[in-house]
Amino acid sequence: MSLVRETYGSVVPGMELTDLPGKIIVIEGTDGVGRSTQIALLKPWLEQQGRAVVDTGMTRSELAGKGIKQAKEGHTLGRITLTLFYATDFADRLEREIIPALRAGFVVLTDRYIYSLLARALVRELDPVWVRNLYSFAVKPDAVFYLRIGVEDLIPRVVFSTGFDYWESGMDLHPSEDMYESFRKYQTGLLSQFDKLAEEYKFEVIDATQDIRTIFDQLKRGISRVLEGTPENAPIPELAKPAPAEISQVAETASPAVAAVAASAASEDGHKRSTRRPSKKHAGQAVAKGRRAAH
Amino acid sequence: MKRYGEHRFPGKLFVVEGIDGSGKSTQISLLNQWLHAEGYGVVFSEWNSSPLVRDITKRGKKKQILTPATFSLIHATDFADRMERNIIPLLKAGAVVLCDRYIYTAFARDVARGLDRAWVRELYSFAPKPTVAFYYRVPLDVAMSRITHGRNGFKFYEAGLDLGLSDDPNQSFRLFQGRIIDEYEQMIPEYDITVIDATQPIEAQQVQMRQIVKARLTQARQLRVAP
Repeated sequence: MSLVRETYGSVVPGMELTDLPGKIIVIEGTDGVGRSTQIALLKPWLEQQGRAVVDTGMTRSELAGKGIKQAKEGHTLGRITLTLFYATDFADRLEREIIPALRAGFVVLTDRYIYSLLARALVRELDPVWVRNLYSFAVKPDAVFYLRIGVEDLIPRVVFSTGFDYWESGMDLHPSEDMYESFRKYQTGLLSQFDKLAEEYKFEVIDATQDIRTIFDQLKRGISRVLEGTPENAPIPELAKPAPAEISQVAETASPAVAAVAASAASEDGHKRSTRRPSKKHAGQAVAKGRRAAH
Repeated sequence: MKRYGEHRFPGKLFVVEGIDGSGKSTQISLLNQWLHAEGYGVVFSEWNSSPLVRDITKRGKKKQILTPATFSLIHATDFADRMERNIIPLLKAGAVVLCDRYIYTAFARDVARGLDRAWVRELYSFAPKPTVAFYYRVPLDVAMSRITHGRNGFKFYEAGLDLGLSDDPNQSFRLFQGRIIDEYEQMIPEYDITVIDATQPIEAQQVQMRQIVKARLTQARQLRVAP
């Protein structure tokens, strides 16, 4: 197996690209498209196969995550500053979280990668040469699954869940308009950037208007193909394994549709370990702990 | 997005560069006072001083979690914030802006930390070209004797201890600053930087600096504010 990984052009000091047997699986897509729902399903599914998973995503770095969130609240960030802030967050996670996980043979399941960041910078009309140079140190992932949606299908989802967000509506670009008009314009521009990137970087495109179960099945098939031929990790100790209770925990907190999928996923191998099923509270703590451990 | 050398402003931008102990901060502070007294609208901006970013850099340094890449990117973020929110609008308004350290500091330090020269230059390509960039050239020994006097030891990143050049902070500082000087020297012709001999008396250096600045302000009389 060839173990030398490639970047998009530049290599930062200290980043050793050999002996990285793990895999990077990227789930991309715009805000509200259902990425985190799918990741919440994929992680336990992968763990049930005995694969160690690290999940990561934007603004979760120790260095810059909190700073970005605080700075965005002020609504005064310039477009270059915002882009560089995200790049700092990405670099911190890449060097101190993603690469070490790859070295240890983990599957890195990442909620967005550089492509969302490229799309956001390009829709803000930053120089494409500058933007690409900025992210050229990123390690090429093993697969990018793009959850694609049109703006007409996106609007109702956003309106009836979180509402319009200042930045996701591009209000820094269209300040004179209302959030709806701005959201429509901004997301249209953003989605067209995503379509171009999908072609350039050979994303696997998944129709995000399908139901959750169908998307989950497509992702499972795609990911299985990527992981094919790589040995599953040695069996992890019983205690570290996700118990079915954890999946039902997902089910309790998620929407009814997600719950149905999660419950059926749980029943697939649930009977085996039902005798040592921990209390719900305990399982919840285990999930939370697992998230923290990922950092 | 305008690139280096493409901006056209009525304002003027003067920057000072040099290693720690070169005396550049003393010089720009004297220049600042003089320009104020002359009635110009002057604004002074320091390296690493964005209110949005400064504390993150400070925490990263304290926890020693910065790598050459994140050290570079967080400083670029700080610089971009000062440019976008403060310096560029002021230059558009016709102000005289003074910067203690500019992009050349990042070029020198980041390359000394092992980052690719072309990558770092492109990273900062959004920065406006200064009206004049001054480099305070000083031998390493002179600078070290100026800054070691009256303070105990160097800070971790300042001495380049993250690079593992030497376990001894003094030795590490010397090696790291030596690399930085080499980078600065390369940049002098590349960016048409004005060199000042920083071993001269402070007054003599200031006279030289004021002459050069004054020559660039004569075409900018409209910048004068009412005394």
